[in-house]
Parts: sequence; C-alpha cells; structure tokens
Amino acid sequence: MPRVIRFREALREAMIEEMERDDRVFLMGEEVGYYQGAYKVTEGMLEKFGPRRVIDTPIAEGGFAGIGIGAAMVGLRPIIEFMTWNFSAVAFDQILNGAAKIRQISGGQLNCPIVFRGPNASAKQVGSQHSQAMEHFYATVPGLKVVAPAFPADAKGLMKSAIRDNNPVLFMESETLYSIKGDVPEGDIIVPLGKAQIIRPGTDCTIVTYSRMAHVAMEAAMTLEKEGISVEILDLRSLRPLDEDAIVQSVRKTHRCVVVHEGWPYGGVGAEVADRAQRLAFDWLDAPILRVTTFDVPMPYNAKLEELCTPQPERVIGAVRRVVSRGRAARST
Amino acid sequence: MAKILNMPKLSPTMEEGVLVAWHKNEGDSVDIDDLLAEVETDKATMEFRSFDKGTLLKILVQAGESVKLGQAVAALGNAGENVTELIAQAAAPAPARTTSPTLPVPSPAPGAAAPAPVVVAPPPQVPFQPVSRGSLLTRTEREAADAESADTEAGAADATGATGQVLASPYVRKVARERGIDLTGAHGTGVHGRIVPADLDSLATRPPSSDSAGHAGAAVAQGAHAPAPTPASLAAPEVRPLSPMRKTIARRLANSKASVPHFYLTIDVDAEALVALRELINGQLAEVGKNTNQKKASDEAKPLKVSLNDLLVKAVAAALVRVPECNAQFDDNAILVHRRVDISVAVAIPDGLVTPVVRNADQKSVVAIASEIRDLASRARAKKLSPKEMSDGTFSISNLGMFGIDEFSAVINPPEGGILAVGRVRHEPVVKDSAVVPGKKIAMTLSCDHRVIDGAAGAAFLAELRSLIEHPMRILTG
Repeated sequence: MPRVIRFREALREAMIEEMERDDRVFLMGEEVGYYQGAYKVTEGMLEKFGPRRVIDTPIAEGGFAGIGIGAAMVGLRPIIEFMTWNFSAVAFDQILNGAAKIRQISGGQLNCPIVFRGPNASAKQVGSQHSQAMEHFYATVPGLKVVAPAFPADAKGLMKSAIRDNNPVLFMESETLYSIKGDVPEGDIIVPLGKAQIIRPGTDCTIVTYSRMAHVAMEAAMTLEKEGISVEILDLRSLRPLDEDAIVQSVRKTHRCVVVHEGWPYGGVGAEVADRAQRLAFDWLDAPILRVTTFDVPMPYNAKLEELCTPQPERVIGAVRRVVSRGRAARST
Repeated sequence: MAKILNMPKLSPTMEEGVLVAWHKNEGDSVDIDDLLAEVETDKATMEFRSFDKGTLLKILVQAGESVKLGQAVAALGNAGENVTELIAQAAAPAPARTTSPTLPVPSPAPGAAAPAPVVVAPPPQVPFQPVSRGSLLTRTEREAADAESADTEAGAADATGATGQVLASPYVRKVARERGIDLTGAHGTGVHGRIVPADLDSLATRPPSSDSAGHAGAAVAQGAHAPAPTPASLAAPEVRPLSPMRKTIARRLANSKASVPHFYLTIDVDAEALVALRELINGQLAEVGKNTNQKKASDEAKPLKVSLNDLLVKAVAAALVRVPECNAQFDDNAILVHRRVDISVAVAIPDGLVTPVVRNADQKSVVAIASEIRDLASRARAKKLSPKEMSDGTFSISNLGMFGIDEFSAVINPPEGGILAVGRVRHEPVVKDSAVVPGKKIAMTLSCDHRVIDGAAGAAFLAELRSLIEHPMRILTG
C-alpha cells in the first residue's frame, strides 16, 4: 500500500528493511547513531539495531571508508554514510583504488558489496567546498555504480537494489530533497540499477536529468506547456550504468534534447548523455544538444549568486525554447 | 616535378563537365597548349589544353565520366616519375566548398537561384530569443548561443545564394531521405531559411529545383539515382541521365516561363513574294557557284543557298531597327534598349537545342547571314560552339517550319525581351484582287516579355515585319 512519506523516511525504511532481511548489512558514519543522523535519515536506527550494526565513527572518512571496504571484502554488506559527498574527497583513494578495483585485482576472488551514501550537490549557502556535485567524478570510474534518485519511492527502491548489489554503489542524495514527500509503497519494492524513468511524457523536447534537477525540470516543463511546448522528462535515476536505451528512445521521439544537472559544464554526466544522444540518435536530432549546468565557477556563498549559478527553471526554459525554436518556423517579422 | 591536372573552368557558368574524349594517352608527351581532352560543359564541347610540358603519367578520369570543377583528371610530370602519393593526395576529400577560398564561387546564372515556393507557415508559437552575449550563461549554453550567431552570418550568406548550403538537421535529412525528398536548393520556414520538420510536407510536392536537377543528374551518372517511384504494377521508365546542356535548358527555360510574363501576338503573313525572292536569289547563287566552284573539290562545291529563315533573320533585324522597343531587355531598375541587333537562332541538335547568335544582323547581307548561320549550325551540331557565340543575343528566332509546324509560340530566351516563332509555308487559297487564288502564307507568333514590350509595341514590330516580308526587296535593302 503506498502512503505519502518523506524522502529521508523512504531511505530509512529501505535500510531498516534490508538490515532486518540480512544480518550482514550494517550502517557506519559520522553522527549516524546517537545524534540520529546529521539530516535525520538514520533516526531511530541505533535504538532499533544497536551499536553493533549502527556505528558512529570519528571524523575520518579515509578511515571508515576503508574499514567498510575491508568489511565488504570479507563478506559483510556495509552502508557507509558521508555527512556530505564533498567529504568523500578525503576517502577518494579508498573508493577509486580500493572499492572500484578489488574485484579486478583479486581476479574475481573478492567482491565489494558496499553502499556509500550521503547528500550531494548544492544545498542552501553551504559554500563552495560543500556544494559540489561529486557524482561526475565517480561516474567516470569503471567498477563503481552511481545512482541519484529524485523521488522518495525511487530512493527506497534504489537503496534496496544498491544494498543487494555485489558491487560498490555510490548513492547520491540531496539535502534539499530529504523533506519532500511522495507515494512510497510499503514493503519490498525494488528499482533496478541502470533503469531511467520517464516522469513526464512529452513530444517536443526531452530533458534528461536526475536528482533535485528533476524537480527543476518539472517546474520548467509546466511553464513551457503554457507556451505550447510539450516537454518529456527522463529521470536517469542511475548515472552509471547509464540507461542509454531510454535516452535514445526518448530523443528519437522528440528530436531534441536538453540535459539538466548540477555540477560544472566541463565533462560530466551531461556530456556523457550528449555523447549517447548524438552517437546513437544522430539521425533523429533536430537541434544541438544543450546542457544546463551549474556555472563554471566555485559556488558562491552569497544567496543571490548561488541562485544565479545553479540551474533554475528559467535557464531550463531558455534552453528548451532555443532547441525547439530551431525546429519551428521563423517569426514572420 | 609531377603535378595533378584539375578540371578547369571552361565556361563562365560551368560547375561540372563530361570528359568526352582524351586526346593524349598515358605515357604521351605533352607540350604547352597541346589538346589534352574535350570536355562537354553546360554550354558546348570545349578543348582542354595543357598549360605545361611533360609526360601524361596517369589518366584519372575515363572518357564519358562527369567531372566536377577542380576535380583531378590526370597527372603530368617527367616520364617514369612515381605519382602514386600525389594521386592519393588529390583523391583525398576536398575541403568543404564553403571553407575553400580557392574554389571559385559560381556566379549565379540568370535565374539559377530560382526561389523555392514560399511555404506559408502557421504563426510560430515559440519566439526565437537571442541570448545576450554578456549574460552569465554556463559555457555550454553560451557556446550554443554563439553558434546561433554564427548561423546568422551563414544564413545571411545563404540568402545571397553564395554558399548554397542547405540548413537542415540530421532528423530532417533522415526523414527527407526516407521519403525521397530532395533538399538541395530548398529553403525552409525556420530561422535563416532553415528547413524545419514541418516544411517536409510542402517540400515533398515541390518541383525539383534547378540545382537539385543538377545534383540528381550527377547521381544518375553514377547510377545511384533511383527514379521517381513508380507503382509496382507499372513498368519503370527508362532513365536518361541529364547532360550538362539538358540541365541548362531545363533551368533556363523553367526560369523563363516561371518568372518572365509572356504574352503572344500572332500574324499570318503572305509569303508569296518572300518565297519567290528566295528562289530568285538561290537561282542566281547557283549560277555563280557553278562558275566559281568548277575547279574546287566536290564536297566544298555545294553552292550557298539562302533559306527562308536567313531572310527572316534579316527581316527581323530590320524590323527591330525600326521598332527598337522590341530589341530590349528588362533589368531590375531599367529597360535596356540595345544599340546592337544580335539575333539568336535556335538550332535543334540531337540532345537539345542551342542558340548561336548572329551579331549585327541588321548590318549584314542576307548571303553573309546565310553562310554564318550555316557555319554556326554545323558547329552547333558538332558541339564546337564557344559559349561566347551563344550568349548576349538581343532577340531570338525559332523556326519549326522545316518540321511541318503551322504555328506555335516559343519560350523567351532570357534576358532577351522577345522571340519570334515561325511556322511553315502553307500553300493555301488566298484572296487576291477579289479572286481566290493559290497562295503561300506563314504564321508567326511573337512572344513578348510584358515587362519590356507592351502589346502596341509588339504589334508595331509585327506590322513592320509583315510589311518587310510582303515587300521582300526591302529586306535586301535593309
């Protein structure tokens, strides 16, 4: 039975259900226990599972990421929370050279079934060092899977898939999405990794997006609808593996594509989507693929400048108008 | 040092030519100005002569092949030189036309840029919103905006027909391919004439543009062109590739009929006296010929004969001198009344027709005109006329009398203002001095460019012409 719960509750529900289902699953990170989670995602879990399975760590990402990887190598299924993905930079070597490589360098003898999770990208005025969209770094790495859900139901379904997957899965959440509500089915719902979802059907332009930007795209689409532009929104959900079939299918239908994500415009997931769209749907494209991203600057602290730098519905609307206008008659003037 | 010989521009409007025959073989030595090959251009068969000395090392294009301007046709150098690499370089794809400053920009032949039919589009729902350069867009968005600005410049050039590029997305091109729609030369309703998906329906029904006819012809030559789909139950037509001349005819005449407002004036002239005069002249010429040609070889001994058409050329020239309004052409800002009377004479040849020009016909004798036309016509049939000999006429005559046509109307040969279509001499009863007697008549129809020639001026010209023909001695006296 679906009921309306918050994003953070959906995540918590997935973790609790998986921990109840499988004793090897445990949670570890800064403030996940006694403090009930920096963003209250893990609220009540220490009380429920005790300190053996909900472990508070020192402020030492390199350390507890490495401990998690080691635990996964010997058969446990850790969930490692980063207070924000920005802090994972300290543990980058563990993830890049540890988690992503274990299976390869052990010749398949060792798996690394671990989930790293935490809030990602911009929040409200957390400064340049805490506002970064880290998924772009990790999504380039073979051996890692990266997911970034936009809705509570997907958060629950993807978290379950991530925990059950035998590979490292990096789970990108969003501070500003934790409180959004949505229908979430009770019990065991699974959203497979690597499957995108059309969250709004349309005919004139595909917006490929994920995470918080899916909501920005929705807002833009509603405005564009009033102008007579029908936007299809594809929520990637998984960034690696990338659901190229879904991208290609949608672009073949609408002939135009705008990619919207947080993070800088140099390279990244948007460039990857653009590559797939132009390579696999070239003959269906009626306009260049545009990307709407965070500006190519360190995030300003100033609230107005921060708003300016991050993708807002207005910029998405502008990009969609631009690609759609190429496919339509010129103004008579 | 070996070099590649490229197809030269042998006529002012040439874009490609058919290499009709090689006059040198591989290994032959070549001197400056030696005839290398003959090339059929859009105008005539032209001589391709060497600018250099050396040995023809390699022939890259076989006789009968269609060759684009600037395309490599042969390698010339010292005997024994290895030209493999040079040829490989020449075969590498040439830079795109728009970016190559060395390729001559084809001067648009009159009417070459026939406008595509204007497609009436519904009012656009999407305003095109240019992005101000200074705004704080991300680089990806800004570059897209810049690309649009570049489009603007390309679009402006396109509007002048200089680039000839078709603006259409991969999607539009794909659909066009699938539906067999030829986009060459097409203009769409999008920004800068970009072809948008909605344009494809109207483009599907348009007649092929002059340019596209050329391209289709090239494709036919390579055997790649699929003829227009024929229902499966019907036999497919025989596909005859377009010769350069046929393409030119198609382009010029379609443009003339589409853009020049034609109207037609017909007279039926008593030709009794004209026919009699011709017989008189020819009788005398034969007498003279007998005496002067006795010692000459028999094939040159054919005495010169004057045809009715020769007399009519002279008559028309004389009438044009009297009514100069009909010896004029339309220009965008003015009517140009010619100070010369240069008559284009339509000559049918196996593959089509050409119009060699008799210059200053008003100042030449009928015999001079006759011998000139005979020379022009025989060289026309051999495709040996130079483009110069076929351009810049001021008025045309087309005579289908020898084919038994009673009367017809002709298509104006732009930029000329008029053309006279002449039928056969009809033997029929005429009323003379209140009695019906056997007579001879010729019907002739003047096609006028109404922008230049009004009905009254055309009628005045025909009245002069009738008067000349019915009193043909005046033709001889000018």
